[in-house]
Amino acid sequence: MNQEHDHQLFGGKPVIEFRSEHDRRSFLRNALLVGVGTTYVATVAGDPTSFLRSSTANAVGTRKGPATNDIDILNYALTLEYLEAGFYERGIAADLLSGRALALVTPIRDHELVHVKAVKDTIKGLGGKPVAKPKLTFPKSTFKSKDKFLATASTFEELGVKAYHGQVPLIESVDILAAAASIAGVESRHAAILADLIGGDPFPAPFEGSLPMKAVLKAAMPFIKS
Amino acid sequence: MTIKRTDFIKGRTAVVPAGVAVGALNNKFAWAKAADFANDVEVLNYALTLEYLEAEFYRQGNSAGLLSGKEKKYLETIQVDEETHVATLRDTISKLGGSPVAAPGVDFADAFDSRKKYLTLSHTFENTGVSAYLGAAGFITDKAILQAAASIFGVEARHAAIVGNLLGLRPEGGVYMGAFETPLTSTEVLDAVSPFLTGPDSMKDDAAITL
Repeated sequence: MNQEHDHQLFGGKPVIEFRSEHDRRSFLRNALLVGVGTTYVATVAGDPTSFLRSSTANAVGTRKGPATNDIDILNYALTLEYLEAGFYERGIAADLLSGRALALVTPIRDHELVHVKAVKDTIKGLGGKPVAKPKLTFPKSTFKSKDKFLATASTFEELGVKAYHGQVPLIESVDILAAAASIAGVESRHAAILADLIGGDPFPAPFEGSLPMKAVLKAAMPFIKS
Repeated sequence: MTIKRTDFIKGRTAVVPAGVAVGALNNKFAWAKAADFANDVEVLNYALTLEYLEAEFYRQGNSAGLLSGKEKKYLETIQVDEETHVATLRDTISKLGGSPVAAPGVDFADAFDSRKKYLTLSHTFENTGVSAYLGAAGFITDKAILQAAASIFGVEARHAAIVGNLLGLRPEGGVYMGAFETPLTSTEVLDAVSPFLTGPDSMKDDAAITL
């Protein structure tokens, strides 16, 4: 998977419409805050020492911009989980899958729905304000065929995995980190199974890659309706 | 050693039940209560021991000629992943000024008698690895090391899911272990893998591993 592939999600059509300007801003603000003046650890596939060099360079945790707090990170995760959950709800409802594929993808939808609720509850528990469920509009072609649905899902999951791993070094609370990691591992399982279902590579590298919010949003931006 | 491999395998359903940890986001994780690791090097040596175990397991298993086609290819990639993890962890420990632990002696008994036995033990090791990393992550203080550990953890989760699927296990509780991964403490993990460790180099006897 590469960046170009990410950009082709949903044919570049906007699929997310936030319920309020507050939600849209709160989501996008994170990207801007985290994107500026921040160097991320890039775990480069095939270069097992890449993170070490980053470590010596003290790249992680050196945030020059305003701090993105854990609630912001959780709202970012919540938005992506809403996007995933909505995507699978529509995909399953489109009745494209059967047999083992249906059996494997249905729990993915269920997991994303559980993630939405769990992340939302956590934000509330921390005294934060969860973003409202965004309005999602996927291009019809996304659910026109089994292949298209699964290929999109695969790209989507790989992006989700990288998005979570991009936040790992930025999360301050150890409990929230644990929760985010426990979700990220499940997204890795989804990514592997979807890759297998489409005849792709379930093990693209010995290390999961990571992407900062800015890059995730660049990939996701086309389907966020402003 | 009183734990038999069969106990270990059966025990997995008890250790990592499907759908557990739904309330995890608001709970304290096991790692926050235990004080198993004094520093990052100790966590990395713990991870290294598990990776040694896995790498040697796949080296032996893939040499046994049990698999073919896509399965063979997948398990070969998993072996390379584990070997890469070993090399990376050793390198990281050294660069942090620590000493990488030696590889433990291992004995997988009859695990390579059949494809099913091989993949079943692989599935167990991978799921244990996932839970071990998650349980240990909270002890890591260096953010770059933490990210690296997380990036290995995710790949172990991929392995676990794919091997579960190769075995044709039920999706929930076989391929996926619920909506959240479940952490295990180092004591639980070491209890689980102890049946496969032999000799003076086993984890139990290594000073770097605190039990």
